Amino acid sequence: MMQRTLRITSYVAILLVLLFVLMTLLVNLTPLGENRWLRIFFSVSALNFTLRASVPLILGALCGILCERTGIVNIGIEGMMLAGAFAAFVAKTSTNDWPLTASLIFGVLVALLVGGLMGLLHATFAIRYRMDQIISGTVLIILAGGISAYLFDRDAVAQGKFGAIAIPGLSQIPVLGEVLFTNPPLTYLALLLVVVIHVGLFSTRWGLRSRACGEHPRAADTVGINVNRLRYMNTVLGGMLAGLAGGFLVLEAVGQFQEGMTAGRGFIALAAMIFGNWMPFGAMSAALLFGYTQALQNELLLAGVTSVPRQFVSMIPYLVTIIAVCGFVGRVRPPAAEGQVYEQESGSE
Amino acid sequence: MQTKQHSILLSLALLAALILSACTAAAPAAAPTAVPQATAAPTSSVKIGLVTDVGRVNDRSFNQSAWEGVVQAATALGLQEGDGYKYIETQDSKDYADNIQQFIDADFNVIVTVGFALGEATIAAAKANPEIYFIGVDQFQGETLPNLTGLVFYEDRSGFLAGALAAQLSKTGTIASVLGTDLVPPVVAFGQGFELGAKYINPNIQVISTYHPGEISQAFTDPEWGAATAKQALDQGADVIFGAGGITGNGALQEVATAPGAGTDVFCIGVDTDQWETLPAAHPCLVSSAMKLITPAVVELINTYSADSKMTAGNYFGGAGLAPFHDFDAKIPQEVKDKLKEIATALESGSLATGYGQ
Repeated sequence: MMQRTLRITSYVAILLVLLFVLMTLLVNLTPLGENRWLRIFFSVSALNFTLRASVPLILGALCGILCERTGIVNIGIEGMMLAGAFAAFVAKTSTNDWPLTASLIFGVLVALLVGGLMGLLHATFAIRYRMDQIISGTVLIILAGGISAYLFDRDAVAQGKFGAIAIPGLSQIPVLGEVLFTNPPLTYLALLLVVVIHVGLFSTRWGLRSRACGEHPRAADTVGINVNRLRYMNTVLGGMLAGLAGGFLVLEAVGQFQEGMTAGRGFIALAAMIFGNWMPFGAMSAALLFGYTQALQNELLLAGVTSVPRQFVSMIPYLVTIIAVCGFVGRVRPPAAEGQVYEQESGSE
Repeated sequence: MQTKQHSILLSLALLAALILSACTAAAPAAAPTAVPQATAAPTSSVKIGLVTDVGRVNDRSFNQSAWEGVVQAATALGLQEGDGYKYIETQDSKDYADNIQQFIDADFNVIVTVGFALGEATIAAAKANPEIYFIGVDQFQGETLPNLTGLVFYEDRSGFLAGALAAQLSKTGTIASVLGTDLVPPVVAFGQGFELGAKYINPNIQVISTYHPGEISQAFTDPEWGAATAKQALDQGADVIFGAGGITGNGALQEVATAPGAGTDVFCIGVDTDQWETLPAAHPCLVSSAMKLITPAVVELINTYSADSKMTAGNYFGGAGLAPFHDFDAKIPQEVKDKLKEIATALESGSLATGYGQ
């Protein structure tokens, strides 16, 4: 039953996407584009914005999925992201005299490293010290905000950022090539990671074991899986993804660091994860939807549409979220053992 | 036993985290202060306190400009920092009233509050303490209180000049503004002024603009939204972008600075302060900034008070105008400069109105 509903939802989603692509092609290539309203909904500038705004949300949501699927609640994505962003900025500014690509890649690596360390910190709090995971996540957010603001040097300028790479052949496709296949590297990487993590979670031994730890750790332990080690590992991996999201903001999107620049994206990523039912593709769709509503708001304002009050336009993402979560409620289900400390039964009992 | 030791270490680490996050307030503002000449200057009974808006005192924007004004005035009066003048950095918008109260309790008699958002708290404090002089930066006073000056600016005028400049630079016939939030009137004034100024030069120019969708606390601190929105505007053919909205606006300027053709085909215009000084990353595209001159106005108001104990009631209009062109000075045609000068003079004399608010 569950399987069937899922399949139907997927078909509907795919159908909607195809319809959307068709409309986009029509609007941008035929005289249909002269219609102001159609241009608002399907213009290339809106689609570019959508993808760009979704990337940090996708990476953040993947971080959440990795942690929560193994049973660790992570509300500290925002903090991990900010730490990654700051680390990337420091790495980039201190290697400004390196060749640009080397310096940027170094920035990405440092962002991954620091994100991973934040993940390790969270896992240590949650597993070793059995701290409430919500509190631990909050600590990460405060820690990252405080340290990055304290150490931030306003005179430092990061020179250069990732530019768009056109994929040969595919980028020649009208409209779609421009939107999907002419992007900077971390955007491609984020989309690739969605596939990798989906396959990893549902088709590999590691994925099966991870999910077992999130659903029923005792059962996993009984068959010889080291629950806590897997939880450590996945939280660190998740932290690296959130760090990468921060790296995206600094090395690919803005090009500079600013205090508190994640501006709540870690929390929206959390919402995307829940909305997407703890599934990588679901989370990606949710992130794209959030990004699209943001793009739409801008398109409406840029087109000078004043017949709709701006405040109503601002409500769109939240309305969409409420409607969607209401519509899907009952279907959305978190991992059963989420947030529960697991005491390994080595020796006794 | 070992676990216990670890727990202690852990607690220390957490404590450090809290202290570090609180520490953001401790960094002293690196304002260009001369060594206070404690003996040379006349001793004065003035004690000046400044409450920042959420953020830090060296934010290279409002807080810093206002603080520099306080430092200049206080140095001239021979005050010592800490004793004669000091600042409190607001960490959370719920603390406005408490932070003002701290200065009242410590017998400060001039209190400067920075930012539109502190308006209500400032009015309440001014009503409760008629003997203390308050200066509210960016706080328009609808009702006149004898001991409260609303230091406001003709943002529409500097926005108008920025728009006039943008319209003369634009080749595509489309210019854009990326704005903080329309919940803050000065931002709206900048945005409207920009549009009116552009239309004054070229009635057919297309001005596209957008506001950050979030609430006040987020609208000025989201550089990636500013950057992505600037890209969206560039995608729609805009070639001059006015970024007005704190760090959000900075994001827009930085995006234009890294766009293809920055400084030759696409340009950006900053806001509030001369952003050439405050945002080096925007240099490739930054032709000018629509400024409001907070520092001299704060000095002026404090001096008026300390010299004659005169509290300026109601609103006081500080200067507003365009920042220098810096590296673009040679690239801007003389007739553009002449036109801007002509408009600035006309606005000043009143022979030209921006049309904002009509």
